[in-house]
Amino acid sequence: MFRIHCPHCQEVRSEEEFSYAGEAHIPRPADPSSLSDAEWGEYLHTRTNPRGPHREMWVHTAGCRRYFNVLRDTVSYEILAVYRVGEMPPERGEA
Amino acid sequence: MSEPPGVVCRECPDRVFANVRGDSGDLRLRRAVAQVAGLDLPREPGTWNRADRSRAYWLGPDEWLLVVEGDDGLALEERLRDALDGPFSVADVTGAQVQLELSGPDAGKVLQKSSPYDFHPRKFPPGRCAQTVFSKTTALVAAREDGAFDVVFRRSYADYLMRWLADAAAEYGYRLE
Repeated sequence: MFRIHCPHCQEVRSEEEFSYAGEAHIPRPADPSSLSDAEWGEYLHTRTNPRGPHREMWVHTAGCRRYFNVLRDTVSYEILAVYRVGEMPPERGEA
Repeated sequence: MSEPPGVVCRECPDRVFANVRGDSGDLRLRRAVAQVAGLDLPREPGTWNRADRSRAYWLGPDEWLLVVEGDDGLALEERLRDALDGPFSVADVTGAQVQLELSGPDAGKVLQKSSPYDFHPRKFPPGRCAQTVFSKTTALVAAREDGAFDVVFRRSYADYLMRWLADAAAEYGYRLE
């Protein structure tokens, strides 16, 4: 069970209130129609799946319903940082 | 039973609800709400403000729930729309919401049983509000000055939640008004 700090509510809340929303920092291609099927498939499905720090999105479903980013270690499950959409994770998390 | 109940639940049927969205720093929004509802939108996360007959609850950094007593939901939306000038959103959500008032010495214990949120008075003093998991659904809970709590939840869950509250509060003595 995670205890997650919501950067909007500015409170630590129980994991029950949140939903996982996949890997963060995956930009949508500017011109999807110009991509090959392989490139589009890459954008849709290929993820880094790292062992260690992972930058991922969460949404505070039962609370403020806002998305934000979490830097989480996939080995220890430790949450290393929480930051808002549009921001970059703190330095130490650069995997 | 002559013992006073530990938890008293009262429905507040005369409330209308409006969902207000916009930039919290925009004075046009704040002025319009102050003009129509007579209060300032809370900017501090997890807090609420009240005026004579209206309340504003913080739902998100750009979202509030406005609750007014004894008004007409559509008329309230209309008045807000007339007063607002800018990129803001107002929606009458009266039909979707139910508000309860939970009072009595054990009301806080029932909240603690119902939710993973920390409703201890040290963490959740009067003036605070929180949207959280409540039993198998979600609710907005607000702590009042008089020690009671306002609970706002979806109307479609009313039957379920009323049964849940009656069951959860049974051990303290429960009265529904």
